[in-house]
Amino acid sequence: MPLESFTRSDPLTLGVELELQLVSLSDFDLVAASPDMLDLLRRKPFPGNVTPEITESMIEINTGIHTGYDGLVAQLREIRDLLVRAGDMLNVGVCGGGTHPFQRWSERRIFSKPRFREVSTLYGYLAKQFTVFGQHVHVGVGSGDDALFLLHALNRYVPHFIALSASSPFFQGSDTLFNSARLNSVFAFPLSGRAPFLLRWEDFEHDYFARMERTGIVKSMKDFYWDIRPKPEYGTIELRVCDTPLTVERAAALACYLQALCAWLLERGEPMPREDDYLVYNYNRFQACRFGLDGTLVHPQSHDSLSIREDILTTLRRVEPYAVRFGALRALDDLYRAAHAGSDASFLRGEYASAGSTEGMVAAAIRRFRESCAE
Amino acid sequence: MSELLPVSYQLAWPVAIALAWVFGEFGYRLTGLPRIALYGLAGFLFGNLASGALPGEGADTFMLLANLGFGLILFELGYRINLRWLRSNPWIAVTSVAEAGLTFVAVYHVAAWFGTAPLPSLLLAALSMSASPAGILRVVNEQRSSGQVTERVLHLSALNCVLALLAFKAIVGVGVFQTSGRLLDALWSSAAVLGVSAALGAALGIAVPGLLRRLGTLSRDATLAFAFVVIVLVALTHGLKFSPLLATLTFGIVARHRRVALSQAQRNFGVMGDLLTVVLFFYIATTLDWARVHEGLVLALAIIGTRLAAKVVGTGLFARVSGVSWKKGVLTGLAMTPISAFVILLSEQTRRLGIDLVDTLAPLAAMAFLLEVIGPVVTQWALRWAREAPASGDVKEA
Repeated sequence: MPLESFTRSDPLTLGVELELQLVSLSDFDLVAASPDMLDLLRRKPFPGNVTPEITESMIEINTGIHTGYDGLVAQLREIRDLLVRAGDMLNVGVCGGGTHPFQRWSERRIFSKPRFREVSTLYGYLAKQFTVFGQHVHVGVGSGDDALFLLHALNRYVPHFIALSASSPFFQGSDTLFNSARLNSVFAFPLSGRAPFLLRWEDFEHDYFARMERTGIVKSMKDFYWDIRPKPEYGTIELRVCDTPLTVERAAALACYLQALCAWLLERGEPMPREDDYLVYNYNRFQACRFGLDGTLVHPQSHDSLSIREDILTTLRRVEPYAVRFGALRALDDLYRAAHAGSDASFLRGEYASAGSTEGMVAAAIRRFRESCAE
Repeated sequence: MSELLPVSYQLAWPVAIALAWVFGEFGYRLTGLPRIALYGLAGFLFGNLASGALPGEGADTFMLLANLGFGLILFELGYRINLRWLRSNPWIAVTSVAEAGLTFVAVYHVAAWFGTAPLPSLLLAALSMSASPAGILRVVNEQRSSGQVTERVLHLSALNCVLALLAFKAIVGVGVFQTSGRLLDALWSSAAVLGVSAALGAALGIAVPGLLRRLGTLSRDATLAFAFVVIVLVALTHGLKFSPLLATLTFGIVARHRRVALSQAQRNFGVMGDLLTVVLFFYIATTLDWARVHEGLVLALAIIGTRLAAKVVGTGLFARVSGVSWKKGVLTGLAMTPISAFVILLSEQTRRLGIDLVDTLAPLAAMAFLLEVIGPVVTQWALRWAREAPASGDVKEA
């Protein structure tokens, strides 16, 4: 099937997808609760959308299309309240966090749906290892060329989003010393990483996608697990590096940061992205995963070493005027605070230290998720 | 030759239990039936064919071991009970009272209709309220099932065991009062026993996690520490003729709410738990005499049918309003079929107090036997129908 043509969408509109954990409130392990949750949620109209994910202890929600912070955060809160209430009925805790700290991948159950079965057969244990939880942000763009320009211009900012959203310090029962261990699971997939350096949609369509398709490896854009990928049928680019934050407010803030950043980049005031930018890409990405806000990145063009925290603070100030346009100053505030006080990963490590167990850490994540919940 | 005979007596029990395990493993691979059902079958055969010819000491040791095995299972169940769920979804509590109450009333009437005297009818009704946590938890862990039926059947079985125990002790209290005429005896046999047992469990439930926290080795040593405490608790309550059931369950529930890790690898208390489970299910079946099973068969079948219907109606009635489909509600009721371990251990304890329930309650032996074999199978199928456990073909792959 050839690649569909790029649908134009309203530039800089936003949509958010969150993969959330379903945790048994009895023992705080992941629980195969998505069939029961979906069954219960279907009884009432749902704002946005709720869908199963590959294993039954995950659930995915997505918002509608939004133009600014207020609408986005309001809808995310509404969704959150419904999920929390449904979970209460079923002894299921819903929470964010990029990984569950002590679940065993071998005990996960693949959701019964043809696509998930196929993926599971192809990837074997990788599919169950893929019980990790990410936030995806869609940003609307006016054309395929704009999409590719933004996709590559964002390469240098990818570490920001990793560090700010990092919420997966533990994996399979132990501290990984990473802030985002989740991305290591994503990296195991053969079609993960970055998109090829092409700036014109036509080239992407014919020189890359069509040729890849002829190899038989891919059938659609869905088969690519890139950090940022174009989504022609929505007319968006999709940033996929974020861990699901512990609160929906943080999720909205990250989305709005991306929106403001794209608005600024689209004015093309910065030097154009080059293929060589990617020489430092994987290293910077590693720094952000491993050390989070305390990491250092190498500027792809000047080759200066920068503290990720400092670079985020500088960029936040730079995009502030654009955030004002979308009513998103509260979002930037939230991220300022995160950059100073530490990410969700350091919050979780703190909870582990004080509770003394990974169960206590999960309990804290559940409390955090429902914090501002309307009872 | 005469010297060899006592040795072979001593060997009879251990060898029989080892053979039961082999039988369970082969049977499980060949038929997919739950192992515990097969241990029970082996125990029943051994009990009726051989153990009558053996001296009784072996049986006493294994009675204590069986109680230990049950204690560990009850602790684990308690450790999985989330009491806050009853507050956030009150319909769970309503379901529990409904299914247990309905069972009590229905079984009482059936027993009475069959001409059973009022006191035994009441006792039968009280026992029928329970669903054996041992049978259910073993099947759940063996099948690695999870979902609403699993979650609910675990919570409801913990609740209805406590309800059954309360009702049972109250009725025994009244019964003892009627026959002996001593009010103090009656009170002692019920309220105090239960109160002290629960208090013991609760006290340790607070003390042990506190101690572990101080040691700072929570995740590694928690399982071992809990196992030791369960052993002490069972030995103590067993010796003092209190209720090991209630004590270990309370211990689990209280310890859980003081949250210390009991990690996945230690489900069933690992190898030790597995070992004691074989003993438990083997032992309880050896206590059942074929003649009695045969004698009470008709009434037993009637009670089993009534109990199942009452439980299915009770859980089905409030299924929708409590957040699951009718189907899952009905399957929850079905999954509660097992009863044997709870009933037999309880009646063995009562025998030590001087009342022989199996003598008094004619259909009890037959009920326990039938449900020891059938109960786990029904639970297994209910979990599969609910799609919470893999269908038979997938178990190995998973």
